[in-house]
Amino acid sequence: MRKPDGKIVLLGDMNVGKTSLLQRYMERRFPDTVSTVGGAFYLKQWRSYNISIWDTAGREQFHGLGSMYCRGAAAVILTYDVNHPQSLVELEDRFLGLTETASKDCLFAIVGNKVDLTEEGARERPEQEGCSPGRPSGGGAPPTLPKQVRPEDAVALYKKILKYRMLDEKDVPAAEQMCFETSAKTGYNVDLLFETLFDMVVPTILRQRAEGLSQTVDITSYKPPKRTRAGCCA
Amino acid sequence: MEAGGDTAAPAPGVVEDLEDMRIPSEQTEDHGGVHPGPPDPEDGGLEETGSTAKDQPPSLSPLPQSEAPSSTCQLWGPGAPESSPMGSPESGSGGQGGDPTDEDWRSQRKHVFVLSEAGKPIYSRYGSVEALSATMGVMTALVSFVQSAGDAIRAIYAEDHKLVFLQQGPLLLVAVSRTPQSAAQLRGELLAVHAQIVSTLTRASVARIFAHKQNYDLRRLLAGSERTLDRLLDSVEQDPGALLLGAVRCVPLARPMRDALGALLRRCTAPGLALSVLAVGGRLITAAQERNVLAECRLDPADLQLLLDWVGAPAFAAGEAWAPVCLPRFNPDGFFYAYVARLDAMPVCLLLLGTQRETFHAMAACRRLVEDGMRALGAMRALGEAVSFSNAPSGNAPAYSVQAVGAPGLRHFLYKPLDIPDHHRQLPQFTSPELEAPYSREEERQRLSDLYHRLHARLHSASRPLRLIYHVAEKETLLAWVTSKFELYTCLSPLVTKAGAILVVTKLLRWVRKEEDRLFIRYPPKYSTPPATSADQAPHNGLFTGL
Repeated sequence: MRKPDGKIVLLGDMNVGKTSLLQRYMERRFPDTVSTVGGAFYLKQWRSYNISIWDTAGREQFHGLGSMYCRGAAAVILTYDVNHPQSLVELEDRFLGLTETASKDCLFAIVGNKVDLTEEGARERPEQEGCSPGRPSGGGAPPTLPKQVRPEDAVALYKKILKYRMLDEKDVPAAEQMCFETSAKTGYNVDLLFETLFDMVVPTILRQRAEGLSQTVDITSYKPPKRTRAGCCA
Repeated sequence: MEAGGDTAAPAPGVVEDLEDMRIPSEQTEDHGGVHPGPPDPEDGGLEETGSTAKDQPPSLSPLPQSEAPSSTCQLWGPGAPESSPMGSPESGSGGQGGDPTDEDWRSQRKHVFVLSEAGKPIYSRYGSVEALSATMGVMTALVSFVQSAGDAIRAIYAEDHKLVFLQQGPLLLVAVSRTPQSAAQLRGELLAVHAQIVSTLTRASVARIFAHKQNYDLRRLLAGSERTLDRLLDSVEQDPGALLLGAVRCVPLARPMRDALGALLRRCTAPGLALSVLAVGGRLITAAQERNVLAECRLDPADLQLLLDWVGAPAFAAGEAWAPVCLPRFNPDGFFYAYVARLDAMPVCLLLLGTQRETFHAMAACRRLVEDGMRALGAMRALGEAVSFSNAPSGNAPAYSVQAVGAPGLRHFLYKPLDIPDHHRQLPQFTSPELEAPYSREEERQRLSDLYHRLHARLHSASRPLRLIYHVAEKETLLAWVTSKFELYTCLSPLVTKAGAILVVTKLLRWVRKEEDRLFIRYPPKYSTPPATSADQAPHNGLFTGL
């Protein structure tokens, strides 16, 4: 039976494009916007490891479940919309607190999505794979604006997170390595984001295995005697 | 019933009486079969046959005594002046379409609004709620005006419009309709809208939020759920049945297969599992309940229907979802945790409802057992056949053609059995064939839905219930019939004779009896065998309240 070895969680305000990022990576397409209900679980085979990815709902309504999805996570992808400064603020205000239940050596990536809507992004646009049908704005390219959130702001948030988690900058990947700007629509940097993280998560998985059972009550890495069902009624 | 003694304004009662008076007169007309009158361009319905002139004058005067109500009438009435007194300041915002002075907005057949007690807009079916603050203010004024007299407003009848009010805790729901739906049916729809809101937030947390902060903007918490409400309201007009009859629709399936699937669901358990449901395209394949959790409580069909609608949301199309959901009839204050996944890349959907928040992986394991079991049974193929039959625009809804009945002249029907043995009554069901031509276009479906609603309202009129209605409409003939054994609505070709209609209905009833094991869940797998661990679990163990 497929059993996840490590967990990655996507967090961020609603409408920043968490589901779209994941769909772009997993299914190579940019689907119609759907509003996620609760959280959705995906399994990704990476080398010999099964990595589980939780795509969570950004709506406030499901906030209460956030810490549950984060439990024992090996990495958290904090997503914001480069055109909405508030979505970056929300990461600190609303979502950082949810990561308390994550694994101690949890990695953090900060991702500014929707660069295709900015002036810079419009110029870059590397692989213009046919814009999927049903794009709400329809027709011509949507108007582009100067980017509202600069990469430096994301780096500053990353450093804040390290402080919050009481981590030393020397022990963790550098901010430049962990801050991304992506476009789920064009696919820009999406593979890079997920694959960089997968590679970084593998050593965490190995370390967790070496340490035996993980520190928290983590049903994803707990090895029950028969299937997984015994995990939660013990 | 609506306007009975408890409405402050006595006038609506008068109108209601007149409405009821209308029915017998039409009845005789119907039986006479003298039809149709000049087609009404707007409504094309039944009641316009000559009676229009009679009932307009009284309905013009329902609210003579207070200022506020009459100004509302102007807002909705067709003859309202362009600059209605409530006209919102940001006029000319045609793009938003939410402006009450906007013609497109005003011409919608049915509006549904949800607002807070403080008059804060929460949901509007059409237009943007921002533009509607003033209109919603009027609604709040109406409600509190009547409330101040120690009474509650239930409905206003204004010309061709019905305004129905429903207060649920700190929420006020309002329907403004010129469809032929009765006030009772509209109230049912508002209750379903409220149930939908409660299912995402719970009643307790809505109450707590507003107790804490009266002018809270609930849209923050409901963001993303508006689409679900839109879909619910659309389904009433496009695919009538579930809400009208208070029943769920089942996938036609051979009984041995359905029984085997029921047994499979009973076998596959997980800690805290309360309910397992297999569904496809919003229709029920089978469901199994857990004894310890739901033993004392019947699963309300409204709750089951809500779940069937919910799992149809596009959000559940990919991945395995884990989300809280509240069943308003079962317990409006607590959450269940729902595991939702599509099986084998099919539209078949498995819903596992549990009481414990951390059991996602146990549920996922349970799902694999169900999937393996279904493969062993060859169920996917059987269901695939049922699904591929359909060409419904609703996607992959399994259905059958009305041709299967073999009764020429029969176009469509709704059949709800009432003679199910008592211990099965907890699962009211109905069946209906796919809507085919001439009911493939949206307007035609709406028209048929209107006709069904009219017939239903008359069969179930509180003051003067009927058992049998034979109605010759402009483009079709309808026969509705309720007995102790069934409730039936048939839509027949317009050229059918009365004798021919009786023949068709006889044929249909014979067909349903022959097929009932396939059409309905005759013996629902009620309780699963309790897993060994659940004995020590209190029923409410995992019901978390609030957010």
